[in-house]
Parts: sequence; C-alpha cells; structure tokens
Amino acid sequence: MKLLKYTFAFLACAAITSCSSDDDNSDSNDLTGQTGEVTLKFDNGVGDQDFIFGTTYNKSNSESFQLETLKYIISNVAFTDSEGNTFMYPTEDNVFIVDEADGNNAGEIYITLNDLDAADYVSVSFGVGIDQDRFALGADGQGDFLDEASDEGMMWSWASGYKFIKLDGTFSTSTLTDEPLNVHMGSVGTALDNYREVTLAFPNTVLVRDDASPEVHIKADIAKVFDGSTTANFADGYDQVHTDVNETPIIADNINTMFSVHHVHND
Amino acid sequence: MKRIPLFLFVCLLVSSCNKDSETEVYVPVPIQVEWPENFPEMAYNLDNNPLTEAGFELGKDLFYEGKLSSNGAIACAFCHEQAFAFTHHGHNLSHGVNGGVGFRNAQPIQNMAYQTSFMWNGSASHLDLQPIIPITSEIEMGETLSNIIQKLSADSEYQEKFDRAFDDGEVSTENMLKALSQFMVMMVSSNSKYDKYVRQEDNVTLSTIELDGLNTFQQKCTSCHATDLFTDQTFRNNGLPVNPLLNDTGRYEILEDPNDLYKFKVPSLRNVAVSGPYMHDGRFATLEVVLDFYDAGAVDNGNVDPLLLREDNTYGITLNDYEKESLIAFLKTLTDNEFLEDERFAEY
Repeated sequence: MKLLKYTFAFLACAAITSCSSDDDNSDSNDLTGQTGEVTLKFDNGVGDQDFIFGTTYNKSNSESFQLETLKYIISNVAFTDSEGNTFMYPTEDNVFIVDEADGNNAGEIYITLNDLDAADYVSVSFGVGIDQDRFALGADGQGDFLDEASDEGMMWSWASGYKFIKLDGTFSTSTLTDEPLNVHMGSVGTALDNYREVTLAFPNTVLVRDDASPEVHIKADIAKVFDGSTTANFADGYDQVHTDVNETPIIADNINTMFSVHHVHND
Repeated sequence: MKRIPLFLFVCLLVSSCNKDSETEVYVPVPIQVEWPENFPEMAYNLDNNPLTEAGFELGKDLFYEGKLSSNGAIACAFCHEQAFAFTHHGHNLSHGVNGGVGFRNAQPIQNMAYQTSFMWNGSASHLDLQPIIPITSEIEMGETLSNIIQKLSADSEYQEKFDRAFDDGEVSTENMLKALSQFMVMMVSSNSKYDKYVRQEDNVTLSTIELDGLNTFQQKCTSCHATDLFTDQTFRNNGLPVNPLLNDTGRYEILEDPNDLYKFKVPSLRNVAVSGPYMHDGRFATLEVVLDFYDAGAVDNGNVDPLLLREDNTYGITLNDYEKESLIAFLKTLTDNEFLEDERFAEY
C-alpha cells in the first residue's frame, strides 16, 4: 500500500513538471489548467405547475395525489464538451440527495460542483440512484454518504440498499379518498438493478472558466413518475411501490423521462 | 485548479514522510485470510478493504461495543456468541433494545467472506452494508449511523484506533463498516473433524456411523447443502408450516415475487450441532426434531421446493431411524472447536 502511494506521488510530481512545460506553448485562449464551478438547480414541478407540498395534483385516469416527502438520489454527474470529451465528477463526491424540503423560496435545490475542467460543455448526464459498481464497493469510498442517506430515510432498515426516490403522501381515485401513497423505489442488492442514467443536452453552451460559474436550471416533472413512458395507476397497485420486481423498473423508467434542462445562465 | 495544489501537497508529503519516519510512525501490518483448499472461491473483494491488524482489532472492538446500540447495551455480540458459532444460543428469535423481540433466529457468523448474500432472506448482498440492518432496526440495536459516529468520535481511544486502522484516519461510517467486515472476513471455520478428514490431515478418520451419515448426506442433502460451505447459497421453501403469528414470507419481502413466498436462504451446516435452535424462526430445538420434520413434517404451503416432492405426492426427505442417527453423527463432525475457542475472535 505505502509503496503504491509513493509511486503515485512520484508519478504525480512528474506530471506536474511535464504539465508546466506544456504551458509554455499555450496561447492566451488555452483553457488548460483552468477550472470552474457549475451549479445544477433542480426544480421540481408537476406539469406546468411548480411543486408545492400538500397541493393536490391530478394525474391521468381521474386519479390525484399530494405529497409530504419528495426526495431522490442523483449520482455520477458528468459533462460532455463540444469536442466530445467527458468530464466525470470525482466518484467519491458524486452522489447527492435532492430533497424538496431543502429548496429555497422558489423551490430550487442547488448542487454545486467544484473544480470542473474549463471547457465549453454541451450536455450533462447523471443517474438516479446508486449504480451496481458503486454498490459493489460496499463501504469503500462511501464516506459520509451512508450516514446522510440513512439520516434522510433514503436507506431501508430491513435490507441493505438505497431508496432512489421517496415519495410519501396520499392519493385519491374515483372510489378511494386520501389513501396512503408511498413510492420507495431502489435497486434490490444485486438481484434487481433499477439505476438509470439520463443525458440532457444544453440549449446553449455552458462555459466553465476560472472566472465563470454557470448555472443549469433542471426541471423535474414529478407527474412523469406516474404518467411517464408507462402509465402507472394507483388503482393498479402503484400506490405502494417498494421492491416489487415488476412495478419498480416501470417507476425507474418513468423517472428517467422526468428531467429536462429549462435554461442555462452563463455569467 | 484543485489538481495541481493537491499534487504539490503529495510531493511535500513524500519529503515530509522521510522526516517523520525517524520518529515512531505506525506502519499497517497486512494480515491474510484463510482460503481452505476445500472451500469455493471467496466472494468478498479484499482489494476494496485490505485487511490489517489494526483494522481487524478495531472491528473486533466494534463487534463487542455496546455504543453501537441506542441504549449502550446491545453489541453485535449480544446475539452472536462465539461459543455457539456466534448465534444467540437458546433463543428462537433475536432480542434487542428495550426488550424488543425480532422475527428471526440469529444466524451464525462464520465464513462470511465466502457468502454471496446475508440474512435469512438475503436482504444484504454486501457484507459491509449488512450491519446497517441490525444497527438501525428499532427492535434490535435501534441506533442511527450518525449517532454512533458521534459517540465514537468523542472517545479518544477510538480516535486513535481509527487513526491506526485507516489511511484517512477518520472516525466515519465507511471506516466503521470496513473494520467490522475485516473482523468478520477473518472468521473462517474450516478445521472441524470433517475438514481434517477430507483434507487428509493429522490422520483423522471418521467412524463407521459418521461415514454412513456422510453417505446419506451426500445422497439426500447435498443438492441444497452443497460444497464444503454446506450451502448452495440459494433461497428455498422447505415446506415448513407457516407460523401465523409471524407470517414470515421470507425472500418474498425482497422482490415481492410470489415465486419467492416462504423461501429462506439454505443455511450452512458448519457448527450446526452447537448453533441451535434451528430454522429461520428457531422453532426446532434439536437436530433430531429437524430430521423428523424433513422425514414427516413438511406441508404443502403452496410453493415448496420441487426437489422435496416425493413419489406419493407428499413433500419431504424420507429417512429411517439409522439414517437419522448417522446423519446426526456426521453433522457433529462439522463442529470446529478451534474456531469456537479461537482467542482472536474472543471478547476477553
């Protein structure tokens, strides 16, 4: 272990020397060595309405719902630049809980990513939940996320796994009124993989520089959880979604359709 | 910009390390886990959690540490006692904080590095994450991960132990779970009379009745209790009558798949003679009762394993009296006293 570390350190030292010699030839527009930050602003809504706790929203099939909890896990955020290069945020820091209760007055939840390589980025991709590679690490590299997920109720206590999304509230149908609604979807160990990734193109280029910290406004349409690529009716059992082998992949696929980039601020 | 300063920092570290080594610096001592020749391949990935003496010792301290529970009294070892292959001897169901009673019988902790899933219904598929289940269960240890870290961080002995055990030295959940895994990974039971017999060590032989039992075992039991771990690690419904008080659906809880109703993980039989009571709810106190059940007690609860279907359309494994007697004689050869008395795993 130690030896390996030293080797790495020496390699790193060598890398610095070689980096600086490269810099001599750079022109003034060269972004080499520059880094900047990007803020992803997650904004939950339902169709064309902003999402507000306790408000009743209609869905298809004359069903409706209101929520008291709305949280999901975002991980593996990566940006692709205009030349096709991908910048993957460091794995150990690349997992976040988006909790509507943490929103500002406008209901936006910020995820700020530091030290991104300066570039002209054209798209962002991320996953909802925890992928199998990260799960297979066990505790390794999880740092404080285990505590955070556990404290936020994003972990099952009866099984070792993460809830990728947590929606708690009530629903009504033509025959039922204000019945409990609980959607706690996640992967189930290695037996069922519900992790999905989405790639969103930016409407205009996101310019990351030493002196520029762009913001990306991402809308998440919660209606798509139930009315996404597949319609999931409460009357058919989608009022209680936990680990069901048939229901959970449908919710996972639906969630994958709920994100869009509304606009980008380059400042 | 972060990258370059980080590298510089590493360079500085290299030079400063040389200076430090003149004073006394703890150097991690790697330790090896056994891979007995009659065992299948290890499932646990040691690359993500290299075993060291300090990591193992910390894991042991945590295993016997009451602070992992909300009332400070329920350590892992409360339900996992070494003398009984780390089970809760004599208790059908596990107990916890504030007099809570669980739903299932505490399973042995042995040969964990070779297991692909944990808990009776396989609800943990990584050893590192398994302890979260009993720790956060309200009826077992009833504690939160962040509370534990707070308690351990306030303890100077633990600060020092975490510092020695891990490169980043932090008292964190990640390191706590890694240390617990290091302790459990090392708990290998592979030196029973049977092991020495199959590995032809120390001129160990089995008696006639033990050999007859082994023979019956191979004919009637190894399709589930396979390999020298004595489990094929699958989930099966063995036809136990459903206890309406618990209505434990087993593996069904995990994927809510009707095909998984009343299925439980095939348990290893190592140290089985000392780890009763038996079955997921500990309903059988002796091995005799277990074998009587397989012979004549299984019922059709709707989803029984087809391997147990007999020609007369009943479920079970037909066993005569001598087969039962010899099977038990054989099962006793799986008791590994070296493991049960191994001081490395003992509290005191």
